[in-house]
Amino acid sequence: MEELKKGGIFEISDLKNVRISIGEIVEAGEKEGRAGEREGEEREPMGPHPMPRIATLRDWDFKLLNRYKPFYAPLCDMCCLCTYGKCDLTGNKKGACGIRMDAQHGRIVLLACLVGCSAHCGHGRHLLHDMIKKFGRDVPIDFGPEVDIEAPLTRLVCGIKPRTIGDYEKVFNYIEEQIVQLADALHTGQEGSYLDFESKALHMGMLDSLNKEAADIIQIACYKMPSGFTGVGDGPDVPLVDVGIGTIETEKPVIIVIGHNVPPAADIGDYLTEKGLEEVVELGGICCTSIDTTRVYKKAKIASALGRQLRVLRAGIADVVVVDEQCIRADVLELCQKTHSPLIATNDKAMHGLVDRTDDDPDKIVADLVSERVPGVVILEPDQVGEVAVRTALEMDRKRRKLSFILTDAEFKHWVGECIQCGGCTLACPNGLRIGEANKSAAALGDTKPLADLFDLCVGCGRCEQVCKKHIPIVDVITKAAYPQVKAEKGRMRIGRGPVWDSEIREVGAPIVLGTIPGIIAPIGCGNYPNGTKDAWLIVKEFAERNYIVTLTGCMAIDAALWKDEDGKTLYEQHHGGFDAGGVLNIGSCVSNAHIHDAAIKVASIFAGRPLRGNYEEIADYILSRVGACGVAWGAMSQKAASIATGFNRLGVPAVVGPHGAKYRRAFLGRADRSEDWRIIDATDGSEVFVEPGPQHLLVACETVEEALPMIAKLCFRPSDTDRGRSIKLTHYIDLSQKYLSAYPPDWHLFVRTASDLPIAAKGELLKKLEDEQGWVVDWKTKKIKEGPIRGYNPSFNPTNLERLVRGRGKGKK
Amino acid sequence: MGVEIPFDVANIPGPEVGEVVAPEVIGSFISSAKRPLLVVGSEILRDEFFVETAMELAKKGIPIAATGHSLRGFVEKGYGEKVSYYNLHELTNCLRDPSWRGLDGTGNYDFVIFLGIVYYYASQMLSCLKNFATDPLVRVVSIDRYYHPQARMSFANVSARDGEEEEYKEMLLRLAESIKR
Repeated sequence: MEELKKGGIFEISDLKNVRISIGEIVEAGEKEGRAGEREGEEREPMGPHPMPRIATLRDWDFKLLNRYKPFYAPLCDMCCLCTYGKCDLTGNKKGACGIRMDAQHGRIVLLACLVGCSAHCGHGRHLLHDMIKKFGRDVPIDFGPEVDIEAPLTRLVCGIKPRTIGDYEKVFNYIEEQIVQLADALHTGQEGSYLDFESKALHMGMLDSLNKEAADIIQIACYKMPSGFTGVGDGPDVPLVDVGIGTIETEKPVIIVIGHNVPPAADIGDYLTEKGLEEVVELGGICCTSIDTTRVYKKAKIASALGRQLRVLRAGIADVVVVDEQCIRADVLELCQKTHSPLIATNDKAMHGLVDRTDDDPDKIVADLVSERVPGVVILEPDQVGEVAVRTALEMDRKRRKLSFILTDAEFKHWVGECIQCGGCTLACPNGLRIGEANKSAAALGDTKPLADLFDLCVGCGRCEQVCKKHIPIVDVITKAAYPQVKAEKGRMRIGRGPVWDSEIREVGAPIVLGTIPGIIAPIGCGNYPNGTKDAWLIVKEFAERNYIVTLTGCMAIDAALWKDEDGKTLYEQHHGGFDAGGVLNIGSCVSNAHIHDAAIKVASIFAGRPLRGNYEEIADYILSRVGACGVAWGAMSQKAASIATGFNRLGVPAVVGPHGAKYRRAFLGRADRSEDWRIIDATDGSEVFVEPGPQHLLVACETVEEALPMIAKLCFRPSDTDRGRSIKLTHYIDLSQKYLSAYPPDWHLFVRTASDLPIAAKGELLKKLEDEQGWVVDWKTKKIKEGPIRGYNPSFNPTNLERLVRGRGKGKK
Repeated sequence: MGVEIPFDVANIPGPEVGEVVAPEVIGSFISSAKRPLLVVGSEILRDEFFVETAMELAKKGIPIAATGHSLRGFVEKGYGEKVSYYNLHELTNCLRDPSWRGLDGTGNYDFVIFLGIVYYYASQMLSCLKNFATDPLVRVVSIDRYYHPQARMSFANVSARDGEEEEYKEMLLRLAESIKR
């Protein structure tokens, strides 16, 4: 057998009994493990950890876990995962397999992160498959002149600069292999250490952030979603879109899309455009599919975030409902049947027992749906969805025109009168809403306001109706009471802009690291809020007005868009959309969260010149020590939210969750009173420095939004803050605490290194407080602090947690 | 005493669940505790009676940790200086550490009372302490209007309906009365 040399030619016409074996096909210039490179191109050198495996970054994880020790609050005291059980683990006992409660909870956390990571990975792989089929492997990843570093996470984790969407096959292969290995660790008799379970969860979180970036990059590239082109409505100039149930023009045929995977909805948009029906048919959506649809089809609207899904479906607004994957109600078929809204399921992850009609004649499918011979169908080819959905909606609109699913006044009166105030609904409600009292006000006094007020506080789960002894349709009763405000729910939101521009990072990198932009706040995630959607609005408003950069995604991006000021403007209309002080950006859907990671990574790369390829640990260390960012998953509910937060944590970004977030069971809490936990190295000379607790936690729950606001500000402190930056951050921390807690924060003094850290306007007063309350020694002549702070201020302090980055020992850099 | 339903009906953690007791029983435990601590949350702000009740308990030598934004209620009554703000997650993390020096720097607590914290968050923190603050034992109870299965002792659910708020307030008065320190 002869091996064919490069450029060699052989003829096969005269060959007999020949077996030809073809290995991997690579393009000219490509070598194994360097997909995406072209011959002769300059490349930054590969870092120490390309495509890390489970144990590769374990040292980094253990550094984090030593400072932010896992805290467990079990939701259940038992393990039920094998037939030895159930095992009672109360009091940190061991189960039959030897696992203790703390390790069992690390295991549950890993399981939740696995589910979340798999959701994003499955979505991304599905997108890749569909996009390659539709557009080919060679769709270029070119996000325009403003985004040169298109895929920071892909470079950081995999060491790859993807050039085309086909390059992501290697990335998904890597992620999927790691997911399986991590899932393996969940089996009985595997990991026994809670710390190692958490390290695996952090690894899973990192993989999740990578596959989110992959998914969003693929869809941006293929659907030409906004990215880095100037003058065309990208970046800071993305247009606004209508948000809210009240924006859906129900006198038209309405298609509602629900889920996360945009190709079917994009096909609907294409069909509407092709047939000139953009003004004839309403395309609205719920959750992230709707966010991504507005990035593709400019006439799309967002009916609501996840929290109103049940109410939208019950109201029968939709003439057709199209679902893809994730966050769809499991009873969606039942709900659609009640409102005579045909259901089209477009993803194999959520088929709801319907018959697969992929590749069937659209005429027959439409006929079956319109006649209601079938309540719904499965169509797994995205390109077949648009025609069926639109044609069905046009005909169903005519059929359903006279139908109404909002209670009549008489029905409402009947149902509120049926309530016996047993309290069963309150016990079943995740927020303990006092539904019975509200019913009584309506029935006895004709006062429907208490019920109407429940509409926004309700998370839309429907558990109340399951237990009502009188079978009251409680969800419908509340919707009826709130109907005027529901119809008036009309907000405006920027469409998802995707990546932050490199030029924006160049402008703000220094202010962020030095602290003069006080921080990046990222309200993201689900809508399981403790007190309604206005919390989302308040968080954005408070920080945007204080010149933080506010980057939103997902359900929080939608919910924050519902509220208006006295002039009728939403926050997106009041604030610019640039990645700069005071900006309010919608980054996009769940998978777009990766661009928030990417912005922090680009600060390290563009501002500080840190190499990215295969260099996760160094960049995470940089971000933890210098980039004042804080995620806020105020209504976090899903497993995806768990893996998203864990991915942020591994990269050195803390997160605040709402009180329901305590049910994730695990937090990462630092102890300000343990000075030994706050040891950092000065990379300039290798000296050990004990610093103030910044950020104090990696994952913490707050009870109320009033408590959360100062906590979010606190988690933006970083050891690298200049004195000017520190004084700005302290100003906001103290001010927010005074505004919402009516007091100074008890630990503000921990963040004072020198007198110039103090807010200038209150310097004298604060020096006095330090002297009187903390016993510090102040030289009043010079107004300098002589004794008291944890450490002094050193403008050339070069913080790191990695010994190898000390100058002279490796690659010491600023 | 019968079986009480948790206020969050599916909140059934396992074989060990809190006992439903009368206020006087908890008062007796508080009386004999070496270092009791009262932890109050933002729900006390819905009626100043609850802020005043906390202040009454403080007069009996029980320090107060105010979580959420409940500190505001004490500041409005000129009592803010005597109360310590703490995030509940952080506080629970400290309480489960036998070496924690406490709010006053002299040591951890052996009897902790929860009042007015949003139910599901309180339940999670009670769960942490029930399972991990066992050596030495930190006994944690609830005097809230909800049955907390994760507390070692708890009141039963007391409805918020008209007339029954007075019943709950009466229970707190009985509790305060029964504490002899």
